[in-house]
Amino acid sequence: MSFLLELRDNLRDFYSRYEVYLLPFLKFLLAFGIFFAINMNLGYMTKLNSVTIVLVAALLCSFLPMNLMVVLAGIFVLLHFYAISLECAIVGFALFLLMFLLYYRFAPKDTLVVVLLPIAFALKIPVLIPIIAGLLCAPASVVSVAFGVVTYYVINYMKINAAAISSLDVENVINKFRYIIDGLMGNKEMLIFVISFCATTIIVYVIRRLSVDHAWTIAMCVGAVSNAVILLLGDLTYNTEISIVSTIIGSIVAVLLAKIVQFFAFNVDYTRTEYVQFEDDEYYYYVKAIPKNSVTKSKKTVKKITSVL
Amino acid sequence: MLSQERIKLMTRMAAYEENEGKKYMSIGSYFRSDYMGLQVIKSVISSTLAYLIILGLYIYYHFETFMQDIYKMDLMQVGKSLLLYYVIFVAANGLITYIVYSFRYSRAKRSLRRYYRHLKQLAAIYDIEKKNHS
Repeated sequence: MSFLLELRDNLRDFYSRYEVYLLPFLKFLLAFGIFFAINMNLGYMTKLNSVTIVLVAALLCSFLPMNLMVVLAGIFVLLHFYAISLECAIVGFALFLLMFLLYYRFAPKDTLVVVLLPIAFALKIPVLIPIIAGLLCAPASVVSVAFGVVTYYVINYMKINAAAISSLDVENVINKFRYIIDGLMGNKEMLIFVISFCATTIIVYVIRRLSVDHAWTIAMCVGAVSNAVILLLGDLTYNTEISIVSTIIGSIVAVLLAKIVQFFAFNVDYTRTEYVQFEDDEYYYYVKAIPKNSVTKSKKTVKKITSVL
Repeated sequence: MLSQERIKLMTRMAAYEENEGKKYMSIGSYFRSDYMGLQVIKSVISSTLAYLIILGLYIYYHFETFMQDIYKMDLMQVGKSLLLYYVIFVAANGLITYIVYSFRYSRAKRSLRRYYRHLKQLAAIYDIEKKNHS
């Protein structure tokens, strides 16, 4: 444990010392990963698939604000949708615009969740995002989580039905439009995931705020289990094709990853908890103080051996 | 001579001005009513746009039915109900905006009060240093 704590402190030191270079580099990697994943999954506009364009876009994102990455990712998705059909692009654009107008105007920092959730879905660990949102964000981030699920299912729907949409009668644009909207609105799997992830985020948030020992660990475990249960119930009710085995494996992996996040964000020693009680003119205070885990760095001593000739 | 206490205070204040203070200072430069008014106006504009988008999608989806029934419809009644939905939608959005931003405004003011207290402390330290110097 002390080795891990020392490693964490060293990583923190390293990050704070080289933040100027590391932050753009990490942003570049994230942007590259996101754009690459979009191209791999959609890839209908062949011009966008060139590595040069992805590299240039990722480089731009490395020194511009984080939200620009989200905007560029949205543009990438819309251009691929446009390559399928104009109607797909219109639906996608309307959806993204509604998300911006109704929510992201209030909470522009939450936009990253929408981008990360489809990636987590692709990696089969989608529950990681609601768990982390519950651990690190405010309860309002449920809206972001819900939008993230919707975004993933819109992309997924377009990907699966691209051939069918393109082959529909070009003359009858309204039928094409209806086909897309019906497909999206009638997606029960999306509805189940929205409900389950929103519930998971709230459950994790509420439990981790409780004044009980190991609140974070309990929160992520209960969150993962309740998510699996809601998905199972939803699957039984609506007869969708949610794979329960992959949900359970994904939940276990997500909890393990969330433990790593916890190690960096909230690492305390419950064995040394102290309860203090005092009062002032206006209040009685019942304070529970839990010390943070820390380790003193092992000092390197340099021994000089000089020999006198 | 360098005062350690003053330097600590100045560093903390500089860090505040650089990070969260930047956001709060722009909010703090408004009167509450002006700030809330501006945010509610922005909300009305964005919710109007959102309503138009939803309405546009709805009409486009039911385009054929609309075209068939347009002469049979009581346009006045349709207009009234559309307006009613619009008012409810915008009012709900405006209310949420009002609650969220009034909370943010009071948080910003609270934070700025702490900053001004630090400013006063700094001025006091300067005074003491000046006296000692003279």
